[in-house]
Amino acid sequence: MLLAVLIANSEGNILVERFNGVPGEERLHWRSFLVKLGADNLQGVKNEELLVACHKSVYIVYTVLGHVSIYLVGKDEYDELALSEAIFVVTSAIKDVCGKPPTERLFLDKYGRICLCIDEIVWKGLLENTDKDRIKRLIRLKPPTEF
Amino acid sequence: MADSSGTTLMDLISSDPTSAPPPPSTSAQAPTASHQRAASPFSKPVTATTTTDRKSKRSTLMQIQSDAVSAARAAVRIPHKHKKKPVSYAQLARSIHELAASSDQKKSQRQLVHHVFPKLAVYNSVDPSLAPSLLMLGQQCEDRTILRYVYYYLARILPDTGAQGLTPGGGIPTPNWDALADIDAVGGVTRADVVPRILDRLSTEALNSDIEFHPRRLQALKALTYASTTPEILPKLYELVFGILDKVADTPDKRKKGIFGAKGGDKESIIRSNLQYASMSALRRLPLDPGNPIFLHRAVQGVSFADPVAVRHSLEIISELATKDPYAVAMALGKLAQTGGALQDVLHLHDVLARVALARLCHSINRAKSLDERADIKSHFSSLLYQLLLDPSDRVCFEAILCVLGKSDSADRTEERAIGWYRLTREVLKAPEAPSVKDKDTKASKTRRPQLLIKLVMRRLESSFRSFSRPVLHAAARVVQEMGKSRAAAFALGLHDNINEGEDVNTFAENNETEDGKAQAEGHRRIGSISMSNGAGNKDTVASLLASLMEVVRTTIACECVYVRAMVIKALIWMQSPQETFAELESMIASELSDPAWSAALLNDILLTLHARFKATPDMAVTLLEIARVFATKVPGKIDADVLQLLWKTCLVGAGPEGKHTALEAVTIVLDLPPPQPGSMSGLTSIDRVSAFDPKSALALQRLVQAAVWFLGENANYAASEYAWESRTPPGTALMMLDADKMVAAASSRNPTLANALTRLQRCAFIGSWEVRIIAAQALTTMAIRSGEPYRIQIYEFLHALAQGGVQSQFSDMHISNGEDQGASGTGLGSLLSPMLKVLDDMYNAQDDLIKEMRNHDNAKKEWSDEELKKLYETHERLLDLVSLFCYVPRSKYLPLGPTSAKLIEIYRNRHNITSSSVMRDSAAVATGISELIYEATKPSTAPVESDNNLDDDLVNAWATGLADDGLWGNNAPAMNRVNEFLAGAGTDAPDVDDENVISRPSMSYDDMWAKTLLETAEVDDDGRSSGSSSPDSVGSVETSISSHFGGMNYPSLFSSKPSSYGGSSQPTEKASTGRHTRPSAGSSSYEGYGSPISEEPPPYSSPVHQRFESFENPLTGQGSSSFDSHEEDRSSTGGNAQSGGSALYDFTAGGDDELSLTAGEEVEIEYEVDGWFYVKKKRPGRDGKMAGLVPVLYVSQS
Repeated sequence: MLLAVLIANSEGNILVERFNGVPGEERLHWRSFLVKLGADNLQGVKNEELLVACHKSVYIVYTVLGHVSIYLVGKDEYDELALSEAIFVVTSAIKDVCGKPPTERLFLDKYGRICLCIDEIVWKGLLENTDKDRIKRLIRLKPPTEF
Repeated sequence: MADSSGTTLMDLISSDPTSAPPPPSTSAQAPTASHQRAASPFSKPVTATTTTDRKSKRSTLMQIQSDAVSAARAAVRIPHKHKKKPVSYAQLARSIHELAASSDQKKSQRQLVHHVFPKLAVYNSVDPSLAPSLLMLGQQCEDRTILRYVYYYLARILPDTGAQGLTPGGGIPTPNWDALADIDAVGGVTRADVVPRILDRLSTEALNSDIEFHPRRLQALKALTYASTTPEILPKLYELVFGILDKVADTPDKRKKGIFGAKGGDKESIIRSNLQYASMSALRRLPLDPGNPIFLHRAVQGVSFADPVAVRHSLEIISELATKDPYAVAMALGKLAQTGGALQDVLHLHDVLARVALARLCHSINRAKSLDERADIKSHFSSLLYQLLLDPSDRVCFEAILCVLGKSDSADRTEERAIGWYRLTREVLKAPEAPSVKDKDTKASKTRRPQLLIKLVMRRLESSFRSFSRPVLHAAARVVQEMGKSRAAAFALGLHDNINEGEDVNTFAENNETEDGKAQAEGHRRIGSISMSNGAGNKDTVASLLASLMEVVRTTIACECVYVRAMVIKALIWMQSPQETFAELESMIASELSDPAWSAALLNDILLTLHARFKATPDMAVTLLEIARVFATKVPGKIDADVLQLLWKTCLVGAGPEGKHTALEAVTIVLDLPPPQPGSMSGLTSIDRVSAFDPKSALALQRLVQAAVWFLGENANYAASEYAWESRTPPGTALMMLDADKMVAAASSRNPTLANALTRLQRCAFIGSWEVRIIAAQALTTMAIRSGEPYRIQIYEFLHALAQGGVQSQFSDMHISNGEDQGASGTGLGSLLSPMLKVLDDMYNAQDDLIKEMRNHDNAKKEWSDEELKKLYETHERLLDLVSLFCYVPRSKYLPLGPTSAKLIEIYRNRHNITSSSVMRDSAAVATGISELIYEATKPSTAPVESDNNLDDDLVNAWATGLADDGLWGNNAPAMNRVNEFLAGAGTDAPDVDDENVISRPSMSYDDMWAKTLLETAEVDDDGRSSGSSSPDSVGSVETSISSHFGGMNYPSLFSSKPSSYGGSSQPTEKASTGRHTRPSAGSSSYEGYGSPISEEPPPYSSPVHQRFESFENPLTGQGSSSFDSHEEDRSSTGGNAQSGGSALYDFTAGGDDELSLTAGEEVEIEYEVDGWFYVKKKRPGRDGKMAGLVPVLYVSQS
């Protein structure tokens, strides 16, 4: 299960979050845990360099892209490496939408489209589409394979 | 970002980009944001605002609702014209209603796509009253982007959020729309009203076979899956999905190799493939339906679909089904698994997760007992699994390794693990005879070379450890850890006799080859070349392969990521075998622990790993204890003392007769360490020095020392195998009165373990801190009662001296003062010691009397009369009861009157038919002694009851010292739960963030503060009950979740930035309005609230209690947590100006009458400060019944 996708700005304010199968009372904990993780470790990290953490049997992979940081939390089949695959899809989708590693402003300007992308990438806690072109088509309401 | 401070996400999105870059002064920016009606209650600055705004919330939200409903009628200006002003939810809702009506105009469309819809995405959920407009848009609008958004939002309305109104998506929390609609009795639109309509529409769309409609059909199907949480809708959904699959899946869709994924093919087949994809994806999101043959059939069909994502989903479904019913799945897959079948094609599928699912599927089928007779089927799957070991993706390869090793998600079975290790070391991967490869002869010989799994895996892992990617390192270390687990299991089951790690692995291969007669000669040649390539003359043994792997693993400890290091250490612990020296591992751990980056959670994880390792290999008890000791000395403040004690205990029992002494030494060495020296950095890597630089860890160390002392007292007898009831001292010498020196010499020569323990305890009784001394005295008493002579008399003398305080003067030069009140007697232990001494006195007196009596009888040569025997027996029983008050002793064996009394008691018992077992009526309260009252958690909940005398002596002794096996004390120990949970691999709950480090980030500390108030609220609720908030059905947790839900509307961390200013200037206003002066952040924004031009004025302030109820009746009026806060704070504010709130950082025990005992985390009100002490008041009287008193300033954090 891909428990959470979280995107925060460099100050730790959360811009996008999608929780799956995380009880409401725990979300707050996850938020502060992830944001703290980022604050502690993301300084000076290169774009898209992957960092890893775990808590009990839950894995966390996170990275920084432009001025936003992206966190993925997963368990079971979504271990560090599967999350790395997923975060790669997310970052490349964001880069595609924004045209470059986004500043916070740019990210917010493209907010709606980014939400649609994430909707196509993570669907009810499971990774769905990983192919860039496919995602691009789907958010424009085109079929995944064109005829 | 500078420009974001003081604004909400909504502000950021709404504000004009061009005006944003010049960073505005942070404090001035916020007010505009805070007062947007709908947006504001959800954002952080407004959490603060709630003080004043709270009152207006009810009306505000009512306003939103009526706005939204009547929006279509209302002619209001469209919000986009005020670009610089953030838009509220109500405005967004209104514009959707309006724009939906005019959706045919280009302008409205643009408006929707660029402004309205993206902004709406910020919110957690969508108001059901928007549904009609969305549906209208979906019907009338042609614009693809708008339609895509429409499906997106319809999907967000569909899921049943339950009572809590929490949708899976995050975002700015929204109110529970249904509750809101209920309030507005006339015009409210609830989910129940709209969901059937939406479902109808989406279902029709999903069945629309018009080609033009094709993409919409896919999206409709997708949106529908979001309704799958509602049980009534499920059958419909299944029907729908199966209906589509009926049409598209059955047509034999021959996938041509090499072209799938690429563009091309005829329109019809592409449409079919798209539909296959959409319906398979939908099926994946519906709940699994094991036992349903149609479900399985459809899922299996999916393996042959053209769309890679569809194939992945179908494999995932199948692999999940296979864990439940492997036989049915294997039968259903049938030919697909064979060479050339669709499963083989998956190997080449460009989808990592599909291959992972394949590995899992193969594993589930391979381990299925129901398929034991179908070796042919199993061999297909295992060959597939082995081929996955060659996968280019690390994810797939690692999954395959884990599967080979026999790891399973649910319950690890030792046999499977052991077989897994055996398999890994012995099996050979024979390359498949794929027809395509056969054709090319030259390449074939290369690809078909059989390879040993172990070599393959080791090589792969080694190369992964050279990666720069942290996730890869972490995963590789995890795989090594799992390998260690399987290896340990193999050792435990004795399989290692078969797996001689020193043997050349290639010989296994040869053995394997011989079965394969034809390939034999070829095989030898190949294997020869493998060996050659590894260096001439070098034999490849499992040991050598492992050694080279472990070398790489060890170097990974240099990784800067602490999580990777933790995983590496765990891997090393698992790979450590009992025979090897562990010095290297120990020093590595010691130097790691000096790094402050390690969090408490991670360290405890490693401690739990030690537990698990011990369970797997009890032989390693001593090694593990040595490692655990490093934790105790290096990071006492960060580890869970309960878990550590449990480890001590289990290891002591597991160490066996010969290891017991070493094990006890390893634990109690903590007591011998020099006290921590603040500021000294010299001992950073020395494991023999305590590191406790800060007060918190110093305190924790102290607690640990207490625990160790107690442990020593409880278990020294067990470790030394010295018991009064089976004393090696012959009965006659029981009362030899040697002088102290000789006695000590005699004692230590006879039983050095016990003598050492005694010495340590004696020292602790003198020079430890107050708490340690108390426990040391108790421990000594326990030992005195349990040990035979001369130990008992030695302890007696010592305790006597201690009680008199005479020795104190001798020691007072050495130990001038530790600043503590020495108490009434010299050592302050007088009152504590006197009952203990009394017991011993009684025992000795009774023994004297007995000897006197015996002499009399002997001299007079007369038999003991029944009367005399009865008296003796009564004394015996009385003393036994007395002794049982102090510690547990086996009543049937214990002889308080000395060994000589045994015969007489026996005679009396025989005469009166008293069996010793019937005397065993000791209740738990008697059996568990005084020390257990302090450490009740680690003790057995019920005293073991011996039913007869034929029990194994050692077992009785183990019981005697509270060292029964897991089952006996499993229920009571909190640490046990943690350990069991860890062993079961559970734990997906959210981590706790240490609050100590959070202060470094201003916005975080704010978040955390808020989080804390939320938690504290819960605590207040829960205090009355003993259960924690973790049990889902306790009232406490319901309240907690309610408060967190409603409080969620004000989640400060969400979509907003740190509070604009912590306002000094704003304080007066705020005090006047609410009296919440303890919360500066609240102050600043309530000021803003007053200052900002808003239309509705907040209603008059109501009493906090009223407020609190209101928050339950109507979620929209206010958040639960803030109403709790105000309740408490109002109370605190009555005290007067000088006082402020605070909470206890650590436990504090009162040292005098004017002092007050504290428990860490307790809320107090600080009255005044004097000379480094606070005079504080508690909200509730503490255990000692005191409400107010002095506590050290450092023990309390002022808020």
